[in-house]
Amino acid sequence: MRKALVILHKEWLELRGERTLLMTVIVPPLLLTILPIVALYLIGSTPDEDTSQPGAVIADPSFVGLSEPEVGQALMGKQFGLMFLIMPLLVPATIASYSIVGEKMRRTLEPLLAAPVRTWELLLGKCLASLIPSLIITWGAAAVFVLALRLIVLSDRVYQVILGGGWWILLLLGSPSLALIMVAATVAISGRVNDPRTAQQVSAVVVVPLLALFIAQLLGVVVLTPLLALIASTALAFLAILAFAGAILLFERENILTRWAS
Amino acid sequence: MHAIETWDLTRAFGDRVAVERLTFTAPRGAVFGFLGPNGAGKTTTVRMLAALIAPTSGSAVVAGYRLGEEDQDIRRNVGLLTESPGLYERLSARQNLIFFARLYDLDAARAEVQTERYLRMLGLWDRRDDPVGSFSKGMRQKLAIARALLHEPAIIFLDEPTAGLDPEAARTVREFIKELRAEGRTIFLTTHNLPEADELCDTIAVFRTRLLRIGAPDTLRAELFGSSTRIRVAGDATMFLDVVRALPFVRAAAASGDALTLSLDNPDEQNPILVQALIKAGAAIRYVEPREHSLEDVYLHLVREAEPIGQSHA
Repeated sequence: MRKALVILHKEWLELRGERTLLMTVIVPPLLLTILPIVALYLIGSTPDEDTSQPGAVIADPSFVGLSEPEVGQALMGKQFGLMFLIMPLLVPATIASYSIVGEKMRRTLEPLLAAPVRTWELLLGKCLASLIPSLIITWGAAAVFVLALRLIVLSDRVYQVILGGGWWILLLLGSPSLALIMVAATVAISGRVNDPRTAQQVSAVVVVPLLALFIAQLLGVVVLTPLLALIASTALAFLAILAFAGAILLFERENILTRWAS
Repeated sequence: MHAIETWDLTRAFGDRVAVERLTFTAPRGAVFGFLGPNGAGKTTTVRMLAALIAPTSGSAVVAGYRLGEEDQDIRRNVGLLTESPGLYERLSARQNLIFFARLYDLDAARAEVQTERYLRMLGLWDRRDDPVGSFSKGMRQKLAIARALLHEPAIIFLDEPTAGLDPEAARTVREFIKELRAEGRTIFLTTHNLPEADELCDTIAVFRTRLLRIGAPDTLRAELFGSSTRIRVAGDATMFLDVVRALPFVRAAAASGDALTLSLDNPDEQNPILVQALIKAGAAIRYVEPREHSLEDVYLHLVREAEPIGQSHA
């Protein structure tokens, strides 16, 4: 474990000097936080006269009793809330895609692999280097969103509908697992390609199930209750452990050195 | 016990055999030169011995640990200077060394001490906080050597340590290698610089996919070429070629201009007889001198005799 922390420290020292990479890590979450706040403010200040009920409103009992303007703001707010579950997938992918392929590009991989470091220690250090900033950014952005909602929602009921128990559970328990799944996938792919962008693009596939949840909630097929969120978080934790174990199994020191190292 | 022992060590990549049945021993506390042309399998051998890649067959004991069974112990007890320095350019020299010292199980205080020791020893202490990206090639190479030594390994693998360095930096590295040998470390040196190998190595292995010859540089010279004497005469030396060839102890003779070059088994005893025979034949002798064969002669002789690279040995 100590060596994983040594690697984590080195990764952060390097990351500090990568200004372009830092920008690509910080800017998308910033936009994903500001845009929903602005959009929800505008929705609240210009209520929609359309009285038709979308599937999500019909299926979700928490909407019962809300006025038309409140429904509009709550409905969009719930969708925007899911953005914060996508965020732990976006941020670490950018950092993790450089983890192994970056070492290959700079020809630093061979001395690193020559050191008495076990594969799990190496990958844990690399994963934590992406995971921790991603969670800090995600939870920081979510905190801004929560505080801003307090100021712009039309009523307390809207606030409670948007930030229901399911959302909190997924944010606090599910997002670390989501981030780890993404990081493990990206690190595993990063060990098999020679370009960080390829690693990032291939690992983007992990986002697809979350987009499905996004659409399913909009259509009213899925209602994110606390129980469902708890089950999902447990399943995600299990998947995250599997993903990390898979990354260790897929990391072939020899092949990386002899086939991929330039 | 030897520092390195291998038995039929073989590594294939698909159908291509990079290292074939390599068997040798490298004594402790000596500089072991591993010479061979590009693509001969030197780096593959070093990677196997440093427990970076596994052999296809065969076995080895490195620093007392069995390859394939005690790889972490091997990694902990050897130092490796890779062909490319492989340093983190955004980190300072100190940060680079501290990072690797910690990976090699040194505690924080010892890592600091060792880092300072080697940065001072290699003349980099004043630049310790500068990013490695601002270093010259020679400075990077020195830093990479320091990295290989931080944990005080018993065996150090140096892959082309002076390649691309200016003469002054190369000399510093060579002197440093001599110091390491004096400390009793075993150094496994791969190089294309044959005068350097001649100067530094106690034992030399000439390798081209398989081991061609191994021995001390002087022994290899004697084995391949015997002892040579050059005699310069007044006038054309070819006139006396038949005279020297008639002597039973002359193994080979050649003439060029005013010089006769003769291969002998025992020059101390045979040179006087040779000189008498030439004088008797009317030669006016100007000089009699021993002719040293260079390590380059040995190397080229062995490598040219070997099969071309790329041929499968499977």
